[in-house]
Amino acid sequence: MSEPLSRSLALLQLASPALPVGAFSYSEAIETLVDKGQVRSAADLTDWLRQELRVGSIRLEAAALLKARQAIDQGDRDSIHHWNQWISALRETEELRLQSWQMGRSLVTLAKDLNPADTTLVTLNLEPVNYAIAFSSLAAHWQLNHAEMLTAYLQSWASNLVSAGVRSIPIGQTQGQQTLLNLWPDLTAAITEIQQFATADTDDDWFACGWGLSIASMTHETQYSRLFRS
Amino acid sequence: MTVAPHPTPETDRTWHGSIDLQFARSGDHTQVQAQTRSPLQFQRPFYPEGPEVCHAAMLHVAGGMVGGDRLSISLDLAPETSALVTTVSAAKIYGSRGRSLIDPAGRFAQQSVRVRVGEGAHLEWLPQETIIFDGALYEQRSRIDLAAGASWLGSEIVRLGRTAGGERYGCGEWRSRLEVWQGDRLVWLDPQRIDATDPATRNGSHGLAGCPIVGTLAWIGEELPKELITEVRSTMPAGDRVDCGITRLQTGLLCRYRGHSVSEARRWFWQVWDLVRRSQRDRPAIVSRFWPL
Repeated sequence: MSEPLSRSLALLQLASPALPVGAFSYSEAIETLVDKGQVRSAADLTDWLRQELRVGSIRLEAAALLKARQAIDQGDRDSIHHWNQWISALRETEELRLQSWQMGRSLVTLAKDLNPADTTLVTLNLEPVNYAIAFSSLAAHWQLNHAEMLTAYLQSWASNLVSAGVRSIPIGQTQGQQTLLNLWPDLTAAITEIQQFATADTDDDWFACGWGLSIASMTHETQYSRLFRS
Repeated sequence: MTVAPHPTPETDRTWHGSIDLQFARSGDHTQVQAQTRSPLQFQRPFYPEGPEVCHAAMLHVAGGMVGGDRLSISLDLAPETSALVTTVSAAKIYGSRGRSLIDPAGRFAQQSVRVRVGEGAHLEWLPQETIIFDGALYEQRSRIDLAAGASWLGSEIVRLGRTAGGERYGCGEWRSRLEVWQGDRLVWLDPQRIDATDPATRNGSHGLAGCPIVGTLAWIGEELPKELITEVRSTMPAGDRVDCGITRLQTGLLCRYRGHSVSEARRWFWQVWDLVRRSQRDRPAIVSRFWPL
């Protein structure tokens, strides 16, 4: 099989909602926004996800994903460890940390089961391991390039939260697909910008606006009736 | 021969102030030594809770910061010391963007805070609120290093625009990067940016939701019992015009406030501080003589 074709297959498999990491059980506070009436429609959901892609903390996490990938490519274990710790420090609510750690653990288990003899995955004997770190390791193993990896990460993130919106607002499946389609320009812009600012040697000038997500996620932790784990 | 000094260009008339506080233990007494550079000054320490907790207050004698100003704050607590550091008044950051013909884009006013808390020492960093005038560009960078058994409680309340006077913060930028380390472990990273020129940030629920006041209180030391978090949750302000939340950090507690009232945020944080102090330090919170009530 040609290399581009096998890379496309890897990309599709890594970004697939069928990847057994439990993503469908997390809404990253969408459920609370719906409960409080801050997200009532497909348009509100688009606004929220667009802001997250324009100025939110998903940008910083995606930049850390790229940094971790560079570290994996170079076999720099200290740096991999640093970026794993960095993501845990950035995900400030308990629910968002637990989500990332659970999904990370599931992906590492899967990767090890799929590749029992592989040594590049040995770098993932981290506990806890964040999802973005596990994701970058499997993307490296499947030889996705950095842009492909970033695209898979952000597309699967957006697709999962649209699905959470479809189920919790609720909106129709077609509206959900339209929402995702409307986010294409925001996704492509974010992918370009993140690759650009992640080239900096340090994260000193990486900023995000996190007030809405942080407070909504904190509120979700004690929401009376909920279907989602975040 | 004397040389007449060049006239100072307008953009260089800026302050570079600093304060360096060293806390040391002598018997059961926390003593402090201060080095300052204007416009920051230090008031003599107070001991309203007895000799073990040193209350220290900083004063900015120029009234506020303009674009290009820089302040450096360094706090160093020796092992087994305990200090509460506050300010005698609200900090003011004046508008910079569009204020000068020479530099219409404006300049950032910058503050850096460097904190080292030694083994078994406790720092409470409770400055009064920061008022960001419209057009102000402000950046602060803080790094906190905690040794084993040390704790840090920090709070910050930011008013974006002098909203009491009808001013809206619609032009300017506020940035704050905070990192907290326990030994060689980064436990909390908070890199926040508010770009006031973005209407979606100002008005959308993802950003400020139209609120001019944001506040953060964090306590970091060790993992807190769940019961304490539950108790702290019961203190949260409620209503249509306020949004706030509480969560556990990896080794501590975090509260966020987004609303319309500095005094509401201040009262809430005081209650949280009181609960954490009683639980972790076995002493109640007290009201600093410098705080308006």
